[in-house]
Amino acid sequence: MREQGVDITPGTLFDAEEMVINMGPQHPSTHGVLRVILKLDGETVKDLDCDIGYLHRGVEKIAEHDTYAMITPYWDRLDYVAAVSNDLCYVGGVEKLLGIEVPRRAEYLRVALTELQRIASHLLWLGTHAIDIGAVTVLLYAFREREEILKIFEDFIGARLTAHAFRIGGLWWDAYPEFEKRVRDFLKILPGRIDEYETLLNANRIWLSRTVGIGVLPADEAINLSLTGPVLRGSGVKYDLRRAQPYSVYPEFDFEIPIGENGDTYDRYLVRMAEIRQSIIIIEQALDGLPEGPVMAKVPKVIKPPVGEVYFGIEAPKGEIGVYLVSDGTTKPYRMRIRPPAFINLQSLRRLSIGHLVADVVALIGTIDIVLGEVDR
Amino acid sequence: MPRVKSTADRRTLGEVIKRLLLFDLFKGLFLTFSYNWRALYEKRDGGNPNQAIYTEQYPLEAARVSERFRGAPRLNLDPESGQTLCIACDLCALACPVDCIEVGSIRREVREGEKVNKKKVLTTFIFDTSRCMFCNLCSEACPTDCLELTQSFELAVYHRSGFRWDREMLEKGIDYVRYSK
Amino acid sequence: MLGTLTTLMLVAPEWVLRWTKEPRGNAFWAEFVVWPLIQILIVLFIVLTLVAYLVYLERKVSAFMQARLGPMRVGPWGLLQPAADGLKLLLKEDIIPLKADKTVFQIAPIISVVAALVVLAVIPWGAAWATIANVNIGLLFILAVSSVGVLGLVLAGWASNSKYSLLGALRSSAQMISYEIGMGLSIIGALMFARTLSMSGIIEAQQADGVWYVFFQPIGFIIYLVCALGETNRAPFDLPEAESELVAGYHTEYSGFRWALFFMAEYTSMLVTSAIAVTLFLGGWSFPGLGLIKNQTLFVVVSIVIFAAKVMVLIYLYMWFRWTWPRYRYDQLMDLGWKWMIPAGLANIVLTGIWYVLALPKSRGGVFGLMQLGLRDRLAPTRWSGIIYFVVTGFVITIPIIWLVLAAINRRTRDFNLHAQRQLQIKLRAKRLQKHAEPQAAGEGAS
Repeated sequence: MREQGVDITPGTLFDAEEMVINMGPQHPSTHGVLRVILKLDGETVKDLDCDIGYLHRGVEKIAEHDTYAMITPYWDRLDYVAAVSNDLCYVGGVEKLLGIEVPRRAEYLRVALTELQRIASHLLWLGTHAIDIGAVTVLLYAFREREEILKIFEDFIGARLTAHAFRIGGLWWDAYPEFEKRVRDFLKILPGRIDEYETLLNANRIWLSRTVGIGVLPADEAINLSLTGPVLRGSGVKYDLRRAQPYSVYPEFDFEIPIGENGDTYDRYLVRMAEIRQSIIIIEQALDGLPEGPVMAKVPKVIKPPVGEVYFGIEAPKGEIGVYLVSDGTTKPYRMRIRPPAFINLQSLRRLSIGHLVADVVALIGTIDIVLGEVDR
Repeated sequence: MPRVKSTADRRTLGEVIKRLLLFDLFKGLFLTFSYNWRALYEKRDGGNPNQAIYTEQYPLEAARVSERFRGAPRLNLDPESGQTLCIACDLCALACPVDCIEVGSIRREVREGEKVNKKKVLTTFIFDTSRCMFCNLCSEACPTDCLELTQSFELAVYHRSGFRWDREMLEKGIDYVRYSK
Repeated sequence: MLGTLTTLMLVAPEWVLRWTKEPRGNAFWAEFVVWPLIQILIVLFIVLTLVAYLVYLERKVSAFMQARLGPMRVGPWGLLQPAADGLKLLLKEDIIPLKADKTVFQIAPIISVVAALVVLAVIPWGAAWATIANVNIGLLFILAVSSVGVLGLVLAGWASNSKYSLLGALRSSAQMISYEIGMGLSIIGALMFARTLSMSGIIEAQQADGVWYVFFQPIGFIIYLVCALGETNRAPFDLPEAESELVAGYHTEYSGFRWALFFMAEYTSMLVTSAIAVTLFLGGWSFPGLGLIKNQTLFVVVSIVIFAAKVMVLIYLYMWFRWTWPRYRYDQLMDLGWKWMIPAGLANIVLTGIWYVLALPKSRGGVFGLMQLGLRDRLAPTRWSGIIYFVVTGFVITIPIIWLVLAAINRRTRDFNLHAQRQLQIKLRAKRLQKHAEPQAAGEGAS
């Protein structure tokens, strides 16, 4: 008898020690509606399978019936904790299809907002990952800083979570007068706060025993699983789309790509913390060099791209998010395909978890940093 | 970038002694205790990241809503004549990704000064706030700045039918609840 | 009848004696029925209210540590929140899963809460009449009864007929049993000095010695604190109910007031373990300068307040730990119990024994002769020289030796050798994957 790839044949007298347990879809630490079917020997995971699709909305199909501008809000709802990054991906893809040059001021603001979103996403990841391992206080501290970012977003974009931040051709709104000051104030307090999280976690022996050596993923396996983002970089592969396939104005900024050494949960944690620090540097550069000018390019009222197809990928907080657009010359895309980082990273869960304990599965789901809105689409 | 490292990876004598003396655990305890201590005497404004307590007591304090916030929809009136600004062009309904707007109009003769023109006139306007995802595309499409998403955000109702807002409600706006401490 | 019970403290106040019309010294009803009943009612009322407010305190402390405000809406500063919670839990629907073992399911929380409450009988809440029963084996009684509490958790997990509950129950039984050993070992050092198991006797011994036993037994105190955390299932050892792994552990299927009983049991046992720690190591209700109070009633009241304050400090410590540190994994918890706490407890007993024997009076075979016969022919360290001797041996010699012993036992763990451990883990993983791949492939072929 098999269900979802896991053998659930009732145990006989001789192998009665195995237990199939359903984690989720209503489980506090599966980050949404992920269902993990675990086959346990005592508390050791012998086999594992993920059941996804509880949050399936058919975004790719919906896109075939909507005009190009109407699709953008749907992208907010893919990875709903990093909506701005998603918007940048989709909007960038349509702009590439149309061949529009976006004003430089808009590009700089886009980079600043996207990096703020990266910080927000990593903070949320940090909080939930820590609460999975039992450190509750980190969550509240991380959410406090995330709240500051969301307030900046609300003032700039008009929404906190599902931002609908960018429009095809630029931005709808220019930065508000205090935007620069607000962001700089926030960036001033953030490094101290990161130190606080690290005080609670970095050297803490309980945190170390829960993360070091858990879910080791060698570089070659990570590449074979086509992982991207911090999960890949934690394994020591220096691959970041901001450098590998530069987009927007990232080539103009000076920043580094942190990579891990051992590819375990602890290294992935360190990589993400280092990425927050790098994002601070990028935002500061973007604000320093913020040019004057318009924020919206000349875009026709009815967007009708030429016949053709395009792929555009960006480095979202969770990895490479990409859009593949096929245009048949009408106002609606013929096909839109999303490359979701969380969905592809999630497939490493089985490889990571086998042989570990139940408690580690929770830490490993956390370390992959999935968002079910994006996994299920 | 050098590979990420933490102090835990270092193997100096100082680190070993620190680990023996449980420095890592005490550091965390000290941090949480300092928060607890500061929480007892510090002023609490709510929403100030530099204070020990960040909570805003929302229903007691008015929530801070930004100027560009996209909340409840509203149909603006001409401030002079009190007539609706809507010209029933249907652009908002076309722009809406979730089809939550229905514009009803009739063609009829309208007297404008001396002349009598045949014009599209707004009759009904239905906005389904339960489907709306507050993306602002309708407001951006509006040529006369009539439809607008306002700062009011308390949209809960007791019955599903309350989510369908008619023209009257859209023009009047919902009652904005003002809280006091 | 009373002749056999003269060791008990007979303390019924005058007005009870007057009410039962019995003379002091031969007052059966007053001493053994009326007055204990009054005490029981008062203690139960206060403790159960206190438990409800401990939840409130926990929420407030955690909130203040986490930059929040905590409950604020029910009553001023949310002070009526426990009442609202209790009312809500009482009025909730009583859900029993269809396939649960109904009787056991209903009995389990009662066992749990009764085991926690019975212990309250022997705790010396204050001087003189503020103890319900001054049993001469008080500590033994507490250890014995509180281990019954684990039965409640195991039965709850089993009767729920749910996998999460079962795993939680398994974890909690293993955890509580192994931490009980460490706890038992940790108190022996202090008992050597006290030479009695009676709770009031231990406090009197500390008064007679003129020093709290935490200064003689720093290691014992630390081990006791850690084991008490494990015994009461508090973070960082809250695995049986680790919500991120097991939803709610053994009480996953419980709701309403049955769930509240488990909750009450948890907080009561927290109170009890703190009270034992205070009695054993922190001098109970005694405090420097307490003897200055001449009024008998005031003296007792102040002693109760002091005891409560000390217990509260320890409970704050528990909350502080809970909201600062992450949670241990199951195997690591067992490691800590068996490889750290139990060896440390054993080493502490051996070392304390050596220091004790060396300090005996020369007439009894000692070397330094730093002890003398004190109150009730009990051996006590001599004033200052003996006390300094035991404090110095406890802090300066015992702690480093035990650290070395633990380091020797645990030299391979990541606490001492993170880098090597990491490489080992990476190697182990490769082996594990190989091992799991083989039966996997075989199973695939078969199906």
